[in-house]
Amino acid sequence: MPRSLSLTGRILTRLWLPVVLAAAWWVSSAGSTSLYFPPLSKILAAVWTQWAAGPARAQLASSLEHLVTGYALACLLGVGFGALLWSLRHVRDATSPYVYFLYVLPAPVLVPAAMTLFGLGFSMKVVLIAFAAMWPVLLNTLDGMRGVDPVALDTARALGVPPARRVLSVVLRAASPQIAAGLRNSLQVAIILMVVSEWVASTDGIGYYIVNSQESFDYTGMWSGIIVLAIIGTVANLAFVAAENRILHWHYGARAVEGAR
Amino acid sequence: MRLRAALVRYGSRLLVLVAALGLWQGLSAAGIISGDEFPSMTATARALGDQAGSAALWTAVGQTLAGWGAGLLIGGAAAVALGTLIGLNRFAYRSSIGVIEFFKTIPVVAILPIALVLWGVTLNMKIALVTFAVFWPLVIQVCYGVRSLDPVARDTAAALGVTGPRKFAVVTLPSAAPFIATGLRVSVAVALIVDIVAELIGGGSGLGTRILVAENAGPSQYPAMYAYIVVAGILGVLLAGVFAVAERRLLHWHSAQRADTVAPEPAAVVPVAS
Amino acid sequence: MTPVVELSKVRKVYPGPGASGGHVALEDVTFEVARGEFVCVVGPSGAGKSTLLRCLTGLAAPTSGEARFGGEALRSVPAAVGVVFQDYGRSLYPWLTVSRNIELPLKVRGVPRAERSGRTADVLASVGLADAGRKYPWQLSGGMQQRVAIARALVYRPDLLVMDEPFASVDAQTRFGLEDLVLRVRAEFGVTVVFVTHDIDEAVYLADRVVVLSRPPGTVSEVVDISLPGPRDQIATKRMEEFARHREHLLGLVMTR
Repeated sequence: MPRSLSLTGRILTRLWLPVVLAAAWWVSSAGSTSLYFPPLSKILAAVWTQWAAGPARAQLASSLEHLVTGYALACLLGVGFGALLWSLRHVRDATSPYVYFLYVLPAPVLVPAAMTLFGLGFSMKVVLIAFAAMWPVLLNTLDGMRGVDPVALDTARALGVPPARRVLSVVLRAASPQIAAGLRNSLQVAIILMVVSEWVASTDGIGYYIVNSQESFDYTGMWSGIIVLAIIGTVANLAFVAAENRILHWHYGARAVEGAR
Repeated sequence: MRLRAALVRYGSRLLVLVAALGLWQGLSAAGIISGDEFPSMTATARALGDQAGSAALWTAVGQTLAGWGAGLLIGGAAAVALGTLIGLNRFAYRSSIGVIEFFKTIPVVAILPIALVLWGVTLNMKIALVTFAVFWPLVIQVCYGVRSLDPVARDTAAALGVTGPRKFAVVTLPSAAPFIATGLRVSVAVALIVDIVAELIGGGSGLGTRILVAENAGPSQYPAMYAYIVVAGILGVLLAGVFAVAERRLLHWHSAQRADTVAPEPAAVVPVAS
Repeated sequence: MTPVVELSKVRKVYPGPGASGGHVALEDVTFEVARGEFVCVVGPSGAGKSTLLRCLTGLAAPTSGEARFGGEALRSVPAAVGVVFQDYGRSLYPWLTVSRNIELPLKVRGVPRAERSGRTADVLASVGLADAGRKYPWQLSGGMQQRVAIARALVYRPDLLVMDEPFASVDAQTRFGLEDLVLRVRAEFGVTVVFVTHDIDEAVYLADRVVVLSRPPGTVSEVVDISLPGPRDQIATKRMEEFARHREHLLGLVMTR
């Protein structure tokens, strides 16, 4: 097997396609006079003038505020309730069908309901994001904790680790790879709900900016909003990968060893 | 003993449901939550009952399912075809995996305005959006699945003379199936979410629009809105359930293998040493 | 008469760092196997036994030298070669029933449906698994699974059966039974066998000739003719003085070099 591919070779293999695609978009849209598909150069200029240095910065800030607050709440609630249900077996048993129902309920259907309950402001979005994004974290926390190796727990008990510490340093830690998977799913849900809530019912945020641009036939603005959303998604994902690599390096290390055996 | 355990389990579940519905009704009756914001349990149940007999609900469910199903089918087929091609070729894999990961991280709602521009408020718009949402996560799973073909399984195919399309159908695809199923399980849920988003904010017909219309109609229609929400949830449960059953049937060999048999001692299959 | 399979001056190098341009698995290996013969290949671990098997079957191409089957240079696995791998758990396809696993090579060779099921039933009976056809491989014990793998390799009546440490993963009693099974089907199907093993007793018990590989990089250090009478018997044959003599001689070869 040719493993001799050099580092530069590898980097080139990874880079050529994105470069070609970006170039193709740039070239094919360069002379575009279509209202809907403005030249990429104009879109990128709009990203800069509107979002990086211009008036849309406020929309971006407002969106991120909704997202971060709601998502943080979702994580706390999800891990908290997940751990609680893990420790209360009967409650878990009795509520499991309803937890599952809320988990598979396609969360965007809650947007109109949230509007009638909480109006159109900040709290509506935060509550909505927190409520909808909580379930993947909760279920994954619960699942991860249920999968904890009993030997690890017994060892901790034998070592005289007090119960609270046991939950924190053994259970939570052993469940963390799966909790991380839940957090990742939740983030996707949170971003979707951020945009949908802003789109349907708002006067600020990226979603609002996009729909407003569209309605005023400013398609360059619309495209710039799309690019900003793509950037948010990518950055969030990269941050996740980096955090997982740091926090869960023990997990990947162990898995690599298992895989090599 | 077993019967008693089952009775306790299902009894307690029923109890939770009754208690929650009772609390809901009690809060409405006591005026703690006003009907202008949140309908009473009985009103919602009545709306649900009315709708179950009305064509409007079933039309909306059908419209939602049409977008969901067509998008899942197109996105799934494209992902399997492309994922296989990419997975079989190392250069193609290395070249495109970064791009695929990038497209996967783009929030699907970002694509909605483009789909609206291209297709307008139509079923095709919904299908396009669902296809996009399903394709990227799934194509990655297919690539991984195809690449994970066991070297012994591959050598066996070569030794038996199994090549070409038959090798793909009999060896490569089944061995990738567990990976594809994992991707599909997520896709089934994502497809429904995206489909409903396309209805809610894109205006495509279906449950999403119904919910929004009920909300706009004011408090008198709130029971209907919540009834639709419940229907959407039930739809989610059903679709996930159907998928789980299909998975258990098609991949019975996989889970059974994990549960019932101990894997043999791994042999040194890497051809570097004997 | 041309030999069924022959290796001449086969050298196999896996690319990588190192003075010789990688890991040299085989160095100048030459031997041939005549029609109807049962040849065992033994050698210390790392001697390149599996590599030898890959070159012998056409699963891998030699870096230099040539592997020929029926006088023709090997490019892929010929239709008249059957291979049994050590790791039956991964070699049998878990998503196919036992029958469908066995029928697969017949389908490839265009055997009509009616004949396929007849031959599958016959070969299953030959390996003593007449009732297992509708089961899945993972529902069987390890020894039974390896019998299925043998049946699958025999069903298309190959001229040459190549087995790569086929009984290394089954327990001792099962192993003796499987050894006798191989001897029996060899007689029944009249097939030439190349059998790779690290077990000297097994090699002496089964083989007409034993090819001994040296320490890595593997090369043929000696070819030993086994002069034991047939048919062989687990107890009587292994009690013979000649058996002990061959065994001692081969052990010496494998241990010292």
